[in-house]
Amino acid sequence: MRTIATRLRPGKRGAATVGGARLREALVGYAFVLLPMAVFGVFFLYPIGYAIYISFFDWGIYGKIASVGTHNYHYLFHDHVFGLALKNTLFFTFTVVPIQMALGLAMAIVVNQKIRGRAFFRSAFYFPSLTSSAAITAIAIFILNADGLLNKIVGGHTPWFENESTALWSIVGLISWTTSGTMMLFYLAALQSIPTDVYEAAAIDNTGTWRTFWKITFPLLKPAHFFVAVVSVIGAMKVFDQAFIVSHGTGGPNNSTMTMVLYLYRTAIYDVHFGRAAAMGVLLLVIIMAFTLIQRIAFGRPEVQ
Amino acid sequence: MLETSAVAAEALIPPRATSERVRTLLTYTALLAISALFFVPFLWAVSTSFKTLPQTAYFHLLPHPWTMAPYREALSKFNFALYMRNSAFLAAVITASNVFLAGLGGYAFARLRFPGREVLFLLVLSTLMMPDQLRMVPVFVMLTNWHLVNSFASYILISLVTAGNLFFMRQYFLTIPKDFEEAAKLDGAGYFKTFWRVMLPLAGPAIAAVTILQFQGVWNDFFWPNLLLQDTAHYVLTTGLAQFVFQYQTQWNDLMAASLIAIAPIVLLFIFFQRYFISGVVSAGVKG
Amino acid sequence: MRTSLGVLLALAVAAAALAAGASAGHRVAKVTTVTLTGWASSPAETASLQDTIAAFEKAYPAIKVNYSPINGDYATSMIAKFAARTPPDVFYVDSSVFPDWAKQGALLPLDSYVKKTHFNTTAFYPKLLNAFRYQGHLYGFPKDWSSLGIEVNSAMMAKAGITSAPKTWADLNADATKLNNTNAVPGGKPVCLSADWARLGAFVFQNGGSFLNATKTAATWNTPQVAGAVNYYLSYIQRGLAATPAQLGVGWCGEALGKQKAAIIMEGPWVQPYMSSTFPDVGYKVYPMVSKGPTKGFGNWAFTVSYSIGRDSPHKNQAWTLLSYLTGPKGMKVWTSKGVAMSSRSDVKPLPSQQPFALAAPYSHPWQFAPGFHTVTDQAGNELQAVFDGKESVATMLQNIQSLATTALHGG
Repeated sequence: MRTIATRLRPGKRGAATVGGARLREALVGYAFVLLPMAVFGVFFLYPIGYAIYISFFDWGIYGKIASVGTHNYHYLFHDHVFGLALKNTLFFTFTVVPIQMALGLAMAIVVNQKIRGRAFFRSAFYFPSLTSSAAITAIAIFILNADGLLNKIVGGHTPWFENESTALWSIVGLISWTTSGTMMLFYLAALQSIPTDVYEAAAIDNTGTWRTFWKITFPLLKPAHFFVAVVSVIGAMKVFDQAFIVSHGTGGPNNSTMTMVLYLYRTAIYDVHFGRAAAMGVLLLVIIMAFTLIQRIAFGRPEVQ
Repeated sequence: MLETSAVAAEALIPPRATSERVRTLLTYTALLAISALFFVPFLWAVSTSFKTLPQTAYFHLLPHPWTMAPYREALSKFNFALYMRNSAFLAAVITASNVFLAGLGGYAFARLRFPGREVLFLLVLSTLMMPDQLRMVPVFVMLTNWHLVNSFASYILISLVTAGNLFFMRQYFLTIPKDFEEAAKLDGAGYFKTFWRVMLPLAGPAIAAVTILQFQGVWNDFFWPNLLLQDTAHYVLTTGLAQFVFQYQTQWNDLMAASLIAIAPIVLLFIFFQRYFISGVVSAGVKG
Repeated sequence: MRTSLGVLLALAVAAAALAAGASAGHRVAKVTTVTLTGWASSPAETASLQDTIAAFEKAYPAIKVNYSPINGDYATSMIAKFAARTPPDVFYVDSSVFPDWAKQGALLPLDSYVKKTHFNTTAFYPKLLNAFRYQGHLYGFPKDWSSLGIEVNSAMMAKAGITSAPKTWADLNADATKLNNTNAVPGGKPVCLSADWARLGAFVFQNGGSFLNATKTAATWNTPQVAGAVNYYLSYIQRGLAATPAQLGVGWCGEALGKQKAAIIMEGPWVQPYMSSTFPDVGYKVYPMVSKGPTKGFGNWAFTVSYSIGRDSPHKNQAWTLLSYLTGPKGMKVWTSKGVAMSSRSDVKPLPSQQPFALAAPYSHPWQFAPGFHTVTDQAGNELQAVFDGKESVATMLQNIQSLATTALHGG
């Protein structure tokens, strides 16, 4: 033990070895991340750069039509529909994420217990996440119809997805239901990594289950919280499939289901205004990046444990 | 193991009253009710898959008349075996590559120090923030120029590793105590060997999660296969299934039968892999 | 040995010569394969298309057709292919996306091909053909088209004592009132009206209105004719004689007809295969769209799709041969013979079941606006829904749409 500690501590003794070891570690680090970074670079970072570039142009199918400076951004700032899309997306994110995280964690805790039939519950909770969003949304449309199953149970004739005031909430419900299973998986894996001695010690101290959870388990899940929070926020900000299917691609009724990516998509594919769509993408990126940085600060630096 | 410890812990606590029993009963009832809610659409899909097309417009849980026609239709009309083979092939390759590369990259970002690590990681995270719809055109143009469109290589190439998986593996590696690596170093293991022989096996649950999620992600992906794999020989299950969805008519019964056939392998995979969640990873005892 | 070797050698040379001679003399006409792409509307349509392709290949053995429909999002796939400069040879272009694709230069102008092969364009219904003209050039030919008709539930109409088709606005009003008074549509409303410009627009045309001026340089949305039509359409709902699909708890008016929640709906020929496969037991009749008056005020929408060739399509000449066959009299006949589509040429007559829709040809306006108009039509749809929900006045809506349209026309 002492030998290792000495070897890794910077200082006079073994300075050359430290430098060499550090260099080797750095090189290995680069080698390990080389292939992933190459994939990200080519298929993600280059398109991001491309998007930033073309956002300053009137860009069509075959490339540059005209250089317009910041006109695209200017247009978006005054665009009533873009404002709605932004508002809807933010609202959606701030409702879905807490729900997903709470549900996911709750289900993971339940399923992690020594209860009978936990395999069954695990499967049941994850089931909606297994199906493709297209199939599940089609089924949801059927169930949330004015004459559908949900109304047969709760009464009334609300066309959930077609009513301006309920459409977005219905999508919130739909996605919480389908994605909390995925969050459950993440939390479950994290729960499995908590060493059992921790629980043993808590039991010996006669700590109640509730206190054990809040004071011990919950804080130990910090890296998982960070991950789930970041991934949930990013996923929510990028919501598209469900909004598209439910509104038949229109973002209706009356733009209540228009999300940023849906508007971006319509601008790119139907109006064929690649430049403006790129500007939207850049703005979306900036917003999500801001959120991620805030989360990084809020959850602290997870490495320090 | 979590189970044995829990049992051991219980033995140290005095026995509980019947109120405990009632609480357990309520908990189970609640759990079952919630599970039922989660299963309902599946039940509706199953029931629809046995109906005739006129019947699908109405909501009846039990189909009457009852028919196997949708399944026969789904299996005979479209080359299901081919679509399933293609989906399975792509999912297997992409999942394996993701587990390896996300594990490798995630480990490096978690445990290895190299200049610019934080910036690179932020770049990795930023790739998550880009919607597919925005990067579609440049990526498609690139792949066309490389003459890869309509080959499996195109889809595999863009899916080799995702930032989400890498991020997840990194977070997981952060929670593993450093004792293991130090022990490995003592044994004279190099970096890759430490990763491959020590760290990766320790990340069992994370690997299981990534496997399930990535396999399913590919299995259910419509957007990229629709764009990149357009000839019938390269159809996957999602694009093959879309043939049932016609512009003015959705043949719900056939679509549900086909969807269920498509879901079955994923369900089996999940049931198989979730066993790994039971076998705990970190057992108390390995201390520096 | 040497002799046998010699013989072998000679045989080898002879064989080689024969082979060379065979391939040289066997001069088969080079077979070109062209790709044909579109979306699949129904199994019946796909079958008819394949019949047409087979007939084409028989007539032109040097050209093979590789038909590979796009099953998902057609526009996204096509835009990607255009950008990558690898479009299919012949493909569908919906009239609503045509202005943008033509303006961006993705489509091949066909005038020179028409001239070269003396292709007869006069047989096409003029309004349909015009839909695929941009800045004076032709970029496609309509492969078929649809308009809107009136479909009624036979039993309910009989119950209300209505014996003939509604022909005018007055008839429609009278029939709806009768249906209401005799409670012929329990659990529903007499008429199903979609909050959709793609239906309401027919009434606008009947009222003498339009959305853009003839040169597509100005919007004419905020005009008394349009307002009049909207108010008229809306009045049915306000008087309790009609409801929207959402209000009836269905996805579209066709479903309302099938589930017997409405007695009168306005949809196109697509409702026929839908009804026969999903609601085979509901008896209904198809009539032509109403007009404002008995001799004046005719108007309808034309929903049409063209076959076009891409600017970067690999086999332009063969693509033209295919395109001109498909939209020519022979191809059109095979394509429309089974009733899956309606002929866009006056020299190929529609089937009897299509008559009610085909009658509207002279006064059906293509569902099409101007380049860059999709955000306008989206917003127009949303505003219309707001009006139907009672949240906005017709006047405000028309003002809003007019200003959006004007901005879009000036390059947005």
